[in-house]
Amino acid sequence: MKRPPNAAGETTIVRDISWCGVFNGANASMVDVKDGKIIRIRPARYYERYTKEEVKPWVMHARGKTFEPSDKSLVPPLSLAYKKRVFSPARIRYPMKRIDWDPKGERNPQNRGTSKYVRISWDEALDLIAAEMLRIKKTYGPTAILNQSDQHGENKVVHGPHGCMRKLLTQFGGYTLQIRDADSWEGWWWGSKHVWGCEPVGQQVPQSNLLYDISKNTELLLFWGCDQETTVWGWQGQLTSRLSYWWTELGIKQIYIAPDCNYATAVHADKWIPILPNTDAALYLAICHEWFENGTYDKEYLETHAYGVDKFEDYVMGREDGVAKSPEWAGPITGVPSRIIKALAAEWASKRTTICIGNGGPGIRGPYATEPARLQSICLGMQGLGKPGCNQAKMIEWGLLDNMEQMSPPAPAILTDLHAAYTGSTPMLTNHPSFIPKTLVPKAILQGNCDWYGNESEFTSRENQFVHYKYPADGCSKIHMIWTDSPSWITCWNNGNDFIRAMRHPDIEFILCQHPWIENDALFADIVLPINTILEEDDIGSDIFSGQMNLLFPEDRCIEPLGESVSDYEAVCRIAERLGLLEQYTGGRTIPELIKIGYETSRVAHLISWDELREKGYFVVPTDPDWESIPAGLVKFYEDPEKYPLSTPTGKLEFYSTGLAEHFADDPERGPVPKWIPIGPSHEETLGTERAKTYPLLVMSNHPRWGVHSQHDDVTWLREIETCKVRASDGYQYHPLWINPADAEARGIDNGDVVSVFNDRGTVLAGAYVTERIMPGAVGIDHGAKYDPVVPGEIDRGGAINTIVPRNTTSKNACGHAVSGFLVEVEKADLEDLNAKYPEAFARTCHVAAGPCIAGVTEGGA
Amino acid sequence: MGKVMIIDLSICNGCHNCQVACKDEHVANDWSPIAKPQPDTGQFWTKVINLELGTVPKVQVTYHHSICQHCEDAPCLEACPQKAIYRRTDGVVIIDPGRCRGNQLCLEACPYENVIYFNDDLNIAQKCTFCAHLLDQGWSETRCSDACPTGAFTFGDEDDPKIKEKIAVSELLKPELPTRPRVYYLNLPKKWIAGAVYDKEADECTEGATVTATNAATGEKVTTTTDNYGDFWLKNLSDGAYTILIEKPGYLTQKLGPIDATSKDQNLGDIVVWKA
Repeated sequence: MKRPPNAAGETTIVRDISWCGVFNGANASMVDVKDGKIIRIRPARYYERYTKEEVKPWVMHARGKTFEPSDKSLVPPLSLAYKKRVFSPARIRYPMKRIDWDPKGERNPQNRGTSKYVRISWDEALDLIAAEMLRIKKTYGPTAILNQSDQHGENKVVHGPHGCMRKLLTQFGGYTLQIRDADSWEGWWWGSKHVWGCEPVGQQVPQSNLLYDISKNTELLLFWGCDQETTVWGWQGQLTSRLSYWWTELGIKQIYIAPDCNYATAVHADKWIPILPNTDAALYLAICHEWFENGTYDKEYLETHAYGVDKFEDYVMGREDGVAKSPEWAGPITGVPSRIIKALAAEWASKRTTICIGNGGPGIRGPYATEPARLQSICLGMQGLGKPGCNQAKMIEWGLLDNMEQMSPPAPAILTDLHAAYTGSTPMLTNHPSFIPKTLVPKAILQGNCDWYGNESEFTSRENQFVHYKYPADGCSKIHMIWTDSPSWITCWNNGNDFIRAMRHPDIEFILCQHPWIENDALFADIVLPINTILEEDDIGSDIFSGQMNLLFPEDRCIEPLGESVSDYEAVCRIAERLGLLEQYTGGRTIPELIKIGYETSRVAHLISWDELREKGYFVVPTDPDWESIPAGLVKFYEDPEKYPLSTPTGKLEFYSTGLAEHFADDPERGPVPKWIPIGPSHEETLGTERAKTYPLLVMSNHPRWGVHSQHDDVTWLREIETCKVRASDGYQYHPLWINPADAEARGIDNGDVVSVFNDRGTVLAGAYVTERIMPGAVGIDHGAKYDPVVPGEIDRGGAINTIVPRNTTSKNACGHAVSGFLVEVEKADLEDLNAKYPEAFARTCHVAAGPCIAGVTEGGA
Repeated sequence: MGKVMIIDLSICNGCHNCQVACKDEHVANDWSPIAKPQPDTGQFWTKVINLELGTVPKVQVTYHHSICQHCEDAPCLEACPQKAIYRRTDGVVIIDPGRCRGNQLCLEACPYENVIYFNDDLNIAQKCTFCAHLLDQGWSETRCSDACPTGAFTFGDEDDPKIKEKIAVSELLKPELPTRPRVYYLNLPKKWIAGAVYDKEADECTEGATVTATNAATGEKVTTTTDNYGDFWLKNLSDGAYTILIEKPGYLTQKLGPIDATSKDQNLGDIVVWKA
């Protein structure tokens, strides 16, 4: 029985309003609904239906103080404002077709991104889709269909917003899969795994109990390119904020190392050390140089826990190449004065130090990201990695991969699991008939072929990095159709302008897109299917990433679906029906049955009956009564490396990576010893290079504060926040570019001016945000802004900085993306001139407070 | 049993949950007779103000908050000829949307910034209601305090001993006014002077130097010691101009200033000291 409405006539529904993307969720929110209207979205209160005695929340005791979960979920503003996303002026309410795409005549691929859309019926859309799929399969074989099912979207379970088509395409005969690169992990994934294993992500594992370990044992926290007041919002909420205040209260010093005074630095830092974007490798090396020179590292530990230290030391001290990697050497490269480097090295060596990371960040997502990541692991090793208080602690993804070893906060007794009810595609599945790493899709299409190492899944182990692959795979077709959901390629991956050119390539005969909003890659589709949002569907959800209390809850729809929208799963069901595969696709299971299966296999069904769960609306999973005794981080390896070895070939910390030595000994971009690589065959993106004479500023591009990757960019209540958008003289809300007053003044740029951010890969317009929160020489622009083409593939007005990030991957043999730490020039834009040159683009209908919208791209309303 | 709000700026992380939750509650929801809907954008019945302080690398952000102070002696209430503004028994000051005729005298009368807004479409003045419609339903929080993740907002009854304790150590926004607000602040921003001392010849941060700031007008002294990066922060300064003295045995004493910390916080940058 569902709970009846309250005295105000409002019914409360608990929903997972988070965006981590697969079946396990976060940000449990209470949605109050009345008469088919969403009244409000608020934090979930744990104790509305349970007592504290029943729930038994964890309590951390450290240094005479205590810390426990809040009584409510700590949701971010992104969840509270979600009504605005649901009712965005960019919502797609009906099926649409690009006006000049005619599968029986001219397809006009060159007009993708400029020609408009017309509303069509579901029937017509399904007819066109089924006919194209059958034709393409017959003409080229099923691997001609590129399945893009790995992008940034909402969190759903039964209605899986990611890759519902994958199962159908398997039944249809096959596909070519776009494989997500280990984005935001790339440095650790392609680099640190070769130092310390730590499969499958490459960031330290176990993470178990590290929040407690820090609270008890750590003296110094280094937040390295980490913003726990930003990046974690969409994944888990704001416990890290409370924790950071508590750590200050406990007297644990916090130093933040990043080009910007990011949102965590702004309120938590004891010290901010500004560093030029993507020069962190040089700083780590100089710190190691200090330690080697002064003997201020744990030599005994390295004798038993590390391999190849001598070769690394040779490089650091200059015995290999004649260049000592001293603080004086690193100062000009990093912008960090040598005396500060020396002081930092001394302090780190004298205190129990943990490095906090929050995925991505300016320290890790650039060209050659493997190097700073490996050096970070090595620095931790030199000071006794795994010793109480000395680890790499993640501020994000607590409980990732259904793995308790990824649980930095106090552990729950049970990790709930909803994968049995999930209809989308999971990235863990491998053994595809044909695949392309996401980062290489533009190259594959534009060039017609490519080859690479590894990346068969973002969760494969180190050994997979030595396997060679190619496109087209033997016996498989080139790509002629793209089927995408939750599309966000342009504004989130490497060189979006190349991907735009790929989507407009004549080889691509048909692009099918399903999405709730007309934005980014959806602007280039031939047929767009209207998808509804999380608040419009019946589902089952969980909150396992908050670090507070874990929840399981049935999710009733809050409102009826808008227009003719359906869920991703339902859309694929409709296509399956046209192809005669519906029964096979669904396995005969209805949506209510899938929800029930989710509950039954959730691992907590024995603790609460379905009826009681429906009546209460949510279940709070108790804390593991023995959580305090779970060994913290790598302490077992620290204490006994023979018995608890790492998963590297030697079982030790490999300062000289034996796997890389065996397979890529002469790789100048990722050799066995990690190095500072200012320039190489793949990239020329540092100051001091020839390119830097033309493009003298280094871009730092962080995960966005006011959205999750490509999402939330149309939420009016966020866009009016001063660091979210800059409203310029033409009334358009431009994406902010942080620029130091010194750099702005040198270019005649005032706060609020529209500026061109450009390099040889294109131009992005932005709003100048002149601030001391970014160091001179660097400019900051969050990724994820909605692409708003002035000239598709060349000029963007929306601020999608990823259109001009490097086109090459992390390095030749590591196909991660490089999306921060690259060169541009910035100048004041001439709006009049741009308007005169591109009148159509500048006259396109744009919502005054929400930005680019559906009225701007449709004919006759849709 | 009057309601009060206490806002602690030292634990505001700037997430804007308060500002957004207020919009979620009041935009497109009609809570008459307490409040008519707020326009989608442009009004902030509780507003976060981003104060970026200092220069690279001594930069901090303080998030200040504007919200109706629900004054006991409310100038807006007196200024309204329509008598559209009233005080409830719980102290909450309400602009009755049914009586307001849009003469905007309350906007002029309010001595605080970013409190009363004018809604052109509805021709009424609007502002924070302490979510009185929710209090009347039995809520113990306002939407902004409910949404705050860090506890920077405390809402409650002025007679509650825990609230009284907090009020006792709090400050008022404009203490010189006779308005007797129901909103209290903890840790309102005070000015600071910071810098970094180093020995250029040794290329070394100078630790343990004594830094003294003397207020030129009052003679008030504030002292601190440089840390292992040579950094010093002289915090909680009263407005005024200061002379700075940097002393360390074995080094020549450095004198700087006067530095004016009246209008903004001051980063003096890198300061070289020379061996004596």
